[in-house]
Amino acid sequence: MREIPGVFQRRIIIGAVICVAAFTLVGIRLVDVSLMRGNGRSGLEGRAVVARADLVDRNGELLARDLPVKDLYARPHVFWDKNEAAHDLAAATGTNEGRLRAGFLNTKHPYVLIARQMTPAMESKVMRLGLPGLEFEPSVKRYYPDGRNAAQLLGATDPDNNGVSGLEMGLQDHIRAAEDGTPVTTSIDMRVQFILAHEIAAQRVTFGAHAAGGIVMDVRTGEVLAMASLPDFDPNARSLSGEDTMHNIMSQDVYELGSVFKIFTFALAFEDHSMNLDEVFQIGQGYKIGKYTIHEAEHMPATLAARDILAQSSNIGTSQIALRSGGVRQKQFLSRLGLLSPIQTELPEHRQPLFPSNWGAIETATVAFGQGISVSPLRFVASAATIVNGGREITPTFIKTDADRRGAQLIKPETSQKMRDLLRYVVTNGTGKNANVEGYDVGGKTGSAQVPGEHGHYIPHALRTSFFAAFPIENPRYIIFVLMDQPHGIKATGGFALAGYTAAPLAARVISRIAPLLGVPNIAPPTRVADGNS
Amino acid sequence: MIRVLNFFCVALMGLSILALYHVSERTRVTQMNLTKVNHEIHAARGSIGVLQAEWARVAGPGRVQELAQRQGMSDTTSAQLSSFDLLPRRGDAPLNNSPVRNASAVVPSSQAMIHPTLSPQPISDQAGF
Repeated sequence: MREIPGVFQRRIIIGAVICVAAFTLVGIRLVDVSLMRGNGRSGLEGRAVVARADLVDRNGELLARDLPVKDLYARPHVFWDKNEAAHDLAAATGTNEGRLRAGFLNTKHPYVLIARQMTPAMESKVMRLGLPGLEFEPSVKRYYPDGRNAAQLLGATDPDNNGVSGLEMGLQDHIRAAEDGTPVTTSIDMRVQFILAHEIAAQRVTFGAHAAGGIVMDVRTGEVLAMASLPDFDPNARSLSGEDTMHNIMSQDVYELGSVFKIFTFALAFEDHSMNLDEVFQIGQGYKIGKYTIHEAEHMPATLAARDILAQSSNIGTSQIALRSGGVRQKQFLSRLGLLSPIQTELPEHRQPLFPSNWGAIETATVAFGQGISVSPLRFVASAATIVNGGREITPTFIKTDADRRGAQLIKPETSQKMRDLLRYVVTNGTGKNANVEGYDVGGKTGSAQVPGEHGHYIPHALRTSFFAAFPIENPRYIIFVLMDQPHGIKATGGFALAGYTAAPLAARVISRIAPLLGVPNIAPPTRVADGNS
Repeated sequence: MIRVLNFFCVALMGLSILALYHVSERTRVTQMNLTKVNHEIHAARGSIGVLQAEWARVAGPGRVQELAQRQGMSDTTSAQLSSFDLLPRRGDAPLNNSPVRNASAVVPSSQAMIHPTLSPQPISDQAGF
């Protein structure tokens, strides 16, 4: 029979239960402290996330980064003299004094934003004022180390650090999704970008052009190594000054590009076997199509062989070649090359090409030499790459990739080979002589287009000149397209402003500087350093 | 015996409470230190980020070109540059004062030095030399 526990025994049991409970609590607490909270992460680390990932070029060079700055807020109710505080803070931060005074006198809001993204110098000025009621809120400012060099291409962010243009907007998802510290690697090569922008700026000044731009692209991967558009802007400043603009003429504008379009006419003729290069065409003084007459931009011989029609850039000869294929076939061919639809890349800025709604004989003739059809330079470059890369479709990209991204076969490889030979002929024997670079076998085509005015008529003597180049032409890896809007002739060019004098030498200078950087071997015969080689 | 056990339990509980307090306090101090270190890491990372951005600015091609021009230097011509792949094998290099052959850029052959060669054709055999 079981005995009933005595008083002492009950106390012992109660004491034991209390001890067990206490040890259990201690154990739980130890587990909590040592295991649950000891994972090495603090709350701060979680907050210290950079709002936007870095943008770097293909070699890892920094293009854009968030830098820590501070936003300044004030609690105006603690100011002794609100007007004086508004005056002093406006002077220290460059903020509008009227806005500050109105904010300080408005009692509805306890906090007033004084300035965003303050520099350390501004912060120091504000601190020296010794005002009470000021609060500095940590923030970030997007900084572009190379300034204007790639301004339009990289784009900009708003004060809330959201991309509003260029790759900052187009790659927004990549930039936001990147893990902490992982940069977004673009296809841009900053060295090539600088050289392109620098040479274009110099040539624009020389010829007094309204605007100018250029693109360098890999024809196999579609990577855009550089894209420049002038006038540009300072991405590190919050406002535009002078002629500054955020408008990227290479992707946002569509132009009648003129004679560079002839490469598509010749490619079509090769595809259709409607011409052979030694065939002679009558050129004459004008070529009548209905009530219209096609003229040449420069004086031409009475007859030209087909190869010289492209080399000398004859509008009349090119029109005759295009008319052999006909308007329907021409439209179908250009559509197949993508020239009648806007290009989709990571750049958000693009425009729909403009082309004739009624594609008759005269339209076929004018489109053949690049008038009456307007495409963006980026769209043109993508389609022109197909002409020289073996005939395969390629879509430009601004993300680094090592893969050969060439897609569907749009034209025959033999046509591409013939076009490469012909483009080399243009540079050795035609209007593109000034684009020749010793040792790099450049092939290319000039383009000098008339510029439409406000009322639909062409502006007299105004030209938009361009040059499309591929190198090394036997097996092209890179293409360059440069464009100058309304350059003016100078004494050194005899007053001429045609593409052969303005755009072609520009392309040559860019190629001569970037080719060694891109590892394209120079195959020039020996020259003497002591004599100053070329 | 029971009293001893009781005393032992109570003493153990007291010691446990003291130990728990000690651990708790040490944890709190460590937490504070951790927060401080994290602040310092964050500040250091910010400074490194600023310095890297500054380095990218001062080492950018635009600034390097500006400095080079200030020192009177000009661009290297493309013909002066070549690839390691195009360098001749050791056995192909001439051992005497013979002229350079088929390089993209050469110095005058009068200089007494060994020149690299890229093809077996002597430069003196080529037109213009």
